[in-house]
Amino acid sequence: MNVQAASLPRCFRHEALLLVLLAAALLSLAWQSDRFLTADNLLNQARLMTEVSLIAIGMTFVIVSGGIDLSVGSIFGLVAISMGVLWQSCGLPLPLAMFLAIAAGGMAGWLNGFVVTRFGVPSLIATLATLILYRGLAEGISQGRSVRGYPEWFLQLAQGDLFWAPHQFWLLTTCAVVATLILGWTTFGRATYAIGANETATWFSGIDTRCTKVWIYTASGLLSAMAAVIFVSRVSTTRSDMGTGMELEAITAVVLGGTSIFGGRGTVVGTVLGLALIQALKNGLSLAGVKSDGVIVVIGLVLIFTSIISNLCSHDEGRS
Amino acid sequence: MTSSTERQAPDVGTCTVSDATPGAHGRNETTLRRAGIREQFGRWRQQFVLVGTIATLFIVVGTINPMFLSGSNITNIFASNAYIAIAAIGMSLIIICGHIDVSVGALIGVLAMVSGWLAVEEYPTWLAWVAPVVIGVIVNAFIGTLVAYGRIPSIIVTLGMLSILKGGLISVTGGAWLSNLPPDFLIAQFQLFGVPSTVWFMVALTLATAVWMHWSFLGRAFYAVGSNAEAAQIVGIQTAPTVVMAFAIHGGFAGVATVLFATQMQVIQATVPVNLELAIIASAVVGGVSILGGRGLVVGATLAAILFATINSSLIFLDVSAYWLRATQAVLILGAVLADIASRRKVR
Amino acid sequence: MPIQKRFAEKTSTYLANIILTSVLTTVNINASARSWTGADDLPTAPLSCGTSTASAAPRAYDGGTPVKAPNRKDKRLNVVDVPKIVGIGYFNATSKGIAAAAKELGNVEVRTDGSTKANIDDQITSIDNYITRGVDGILFAANDPVAIAPILKRALARGINVVGYDADAARNARQWFVNQAEFNSMAKVLIDTLAREIGAGGSFAIVTSTFVTPNQARWIAEMSAYQAKCFPQMKWLETVEAQEDNVLSFTQTTTLINKYGNKLAGIVGMTTVATPAAAEAIAQAKKCGKVAVIGMATPNAIKPYLNNGCMKSAVLWNPVDLGYAAMYALRAIADETLKPGSVSLKAGRLGELKVVKGSEILLGEPYVFTKSNVNRFDF
Repeated sequence: MNVQAASLPRCFRHEALLLVLLAAALLSLAWQSDRFLTADNLLNQARLMTEVSLIAIGMTFVIVSGGIDLSVGSIFGLVAISMGVLWQSCGLPLPLAMFLAIAAGGMAGWLNGFVVTRFGVPSLIATLATLILYRGLAEGISQGRSVRGYPEWFLQLAQGDLFWAPHQFWLLTTCAVVATLILGWTTFGRATYAIGANETATWFSGIDTRCTKVWIYTASGLLSAMAAVIFVSRVSTTRSDMGTGMELEAITAVVLGGTSIFGGRGTVVGTVLGLALIQALKNGLSLAGVKSDGVIVVIGLVLIFTSIISNLCSHDEGRS
Repeated sequence: MTSSTERQAPDVGTCTVSDATPGAHGRNETTLRRAGIREQFGRWRQQFVLVGTIATLFIVVGTINPMFLSGSNITNIFASNAYIAIAAIGMSLIIICGHIDVSVGALIGVLAMVSGWLAVEEYPTWLAWVAPVVIGVIVNAFIGTLVAYGRIPSIIVTLGMLSILKGGLISVTGGAWLSNLPPDFLIAQFQLFGVPSTVWFMVALTLATAVWMHWSFLGRAFYAVGSNAEAAQIVGIQTAPTVVMAFAIHGGFAGVATVLFATQMQVIQATVPVNLELAIIASAVVGGVSILGGRGLVVGATLAAILFATINSSLIFLDVSAYWLRATQAVLILGAVLADIASRRKVR
Repeated sequence: MPIQKRFAEKTSTYLANIILTSVLTTVNINASARSWTGADDLPTAPLSCGTSTASAAPRAYDGGTPVKAPNRKDKRLNVVDVPKIVGIGYFNATSKGIAAAAKELGNVEVRTDGSTKANIDDQITSIDNYITRGVDGILFAANDPVAIAPILKRALARGINVVGYDADAARNARQWFVNQAEFNSMAKVLIDTLAREIGAGGSFAIVTSTFVTPNQARWIAEMSAYQAKCFPQMKWLETVEAQEDNVLSFTQTTTLINKYGNKLAGIVGMTTVATPAAAEAIAQAKKCGKVAVIGMATPNAIKPYLNNGCMKSAVLWNPVDLGYAAMYALRAIADETLKPGSVSLKAGRLGELKVVKGSEILLGEPYVFTKSNVNRFDF
């Protein structure tokens, strides 16, 4: 069965639903507040949502392959701390510290993949354990101290603009495009879908599922690491508690985007639409005068309703 | 989480029928029972590992600092995580059915406020105790209906519920705490024969659930549905009502956990402990309940909760630096998980 | 998979775990030989022992300045209050104070909006949204002084007035900061009270929130310096973390009581959540009177313990007054009665509040709640 072709119409149906929802949300929120649909505001939102978006893009691959990665938030914190410690305490030049910290994030992701493939630990358990482990490492390495005093050029990375848009906007767009291409048009992407759909069959088809999975988790770690560096640049400090709760935000965006939690189905486009919808709601509702507690209730409701509607629309949903 | 694909792990060549599920295969039950001591040991293996770890910690830390073995400290260890253990029993039922619930922490927060409000407004004390259980059952039955009949994956529904409950709690309470609780409401502080009531609840509920899971039809139905839903349907077990029941019972346990959680102190906070749901899921999972569904014993959840409390206490007694506390906890948890996984591969 | 390989895998797993655990434990035990106290590395300025309190020399104004702020004199103000976290009694009280001040002033509209997690990102996003929405003033209590600075500077660049309370930001990111009490003065009161209750040679432990909370680290650092200076015989046993959680504070305190037994003479609660929880733990362990509990607490939370004798006093400032003063400060800035170089602030029923350290407004001396005066308060 050609997984890709059969899922194409279904995919577009959910993404189409999201597009409609997004348009509806943008219009109604713009009507509620005249500050919402301005270029300034929207670009600013792109700046604020970059970290979660990068993590969610990585998470898309993981969930499409049938797994889950709960440790992304902790990898985020660990990378932030590593960069700070390498730069301040070890005295390395900042670009080198950044590179090594991102590499450390990749290693952390690799370890996730290793535990999942080599020991056969279900990804939920493995990443639950590494969530605690990496956070613990971050706390231990940082010794509770924050690292401050980054040079101006570093802070400009996330606080500055390139042409008319924030640096993060360009980075995010590039990552999203590259990820879409990889997931949709390369063998690696097809292998990801295949593993999510039926891992044993994929194994028998001759695809090295273990290698692919390890790469997926490593990529997830690398993207979290990049997000961490950007975040540190945006807030100009490092703390060991950075990134707590980000995994749930990313997962919410990914499943809202139509990726099936069982694997085998989902697109990066859907995730990006999901992220845009969530950010639009968070920002628009706040501008309209709703307080933060009300906003999270709305997001919860949107998540459930979108799933219900999407389920109703796809009657040939075989999984339960 | 669960699907027929996840269960077909790449360990090719072995039969993947869950052979450790008690009585889920009807006619094959006698074949299972004949599997003998090794099979029995296999089922209880994780529990042995947990008990062994707890005992080791007691011995090691007790030797280093004898105050660890004092009556009040042991009582503290068993009582402090009792409410997590009870919630974890409910969570185990859900996970055995092949689902998950990440909203339980927020639910406990909401129910605690409801319970406290009833007590402060001078409603009868029994009502303040029973209401959280009933509301927990109703809310979770609703979630279960969405999962079973709406066919929405449980993680999505519960992620959504998490947001709704968390936001709702702050909206309604405005973040205010509840104080002036009447003393006869504070059930967690009662003692029977010198042992806090929380421990009695934990032990009683664990035993009752374990026995019930093994002997009752519904209990076995949970294992069947979690192991292979299509097969269970064919055998005649109606999966959808079973799943709803599992969620409802889980809600009831969450309600009981709430009452014990809320009455530990003289005030009820408007927020729940950070990562409460993670602690509950971790207890269930480390307790041996397989995330793939269909296997595990609820006793393990209780033991795992006790293990976590023991670890937390030990780390303070051992003067572990606060900065490395969480890392050490993680290593111990990872150790328990890997030990189980590594030896589980032999059983197949 | 062949049996030998499985066995090797299993053994290596167990071995790896044992080695890793022992390494970590050894590292910890060695590291903790230095005994974590929770203090930060910044310089401390302990006050003199005994009853006198020195006053600091005046400094030049060092707060930030809004860019092209519109004339808000006597106009209606739209203000947002962004505390560290919503859902704990302390910030409920500050919100009450802010609302009360707004009502008294009559020409201010204020709302409190924050996250249920003490999270820097959520706080920044909240403030960002309000900047876009267009507010006249922002009141804040920062989760992190450096992280919040960029967004506050952005607010200043848009001409919004910015005043902080409870937890400061980088000085040039806000115009004024209402300080509830000086760190060293709070440390002095706490340690003096502790010494009174457990004696100059007693052993005590501290329950704090987390080691990344800046205020906590500062207080503990000052306490450490003051105790070393004035009560060198006191023994600092341990500091434990309890987040801002009731039940965790309770459990941690109980463990401490069990660990040290009779050696423990006093517990210091560093958050308004920890102190009543610690008192509850002492009460349930039936050690009221034997183990002293002191610390920061709101009066409502500790009324039962003051009444039954488990606690003799608690220290705080009045958070309602703190919010009240912050609101008045913001109004005064808008009305241009509080300017760089002012030496005092007229804050309604609180009277004249002094300006210290250039751009800080001091609320006053820490307030000590005892059995005799606790019933006067309701927060």
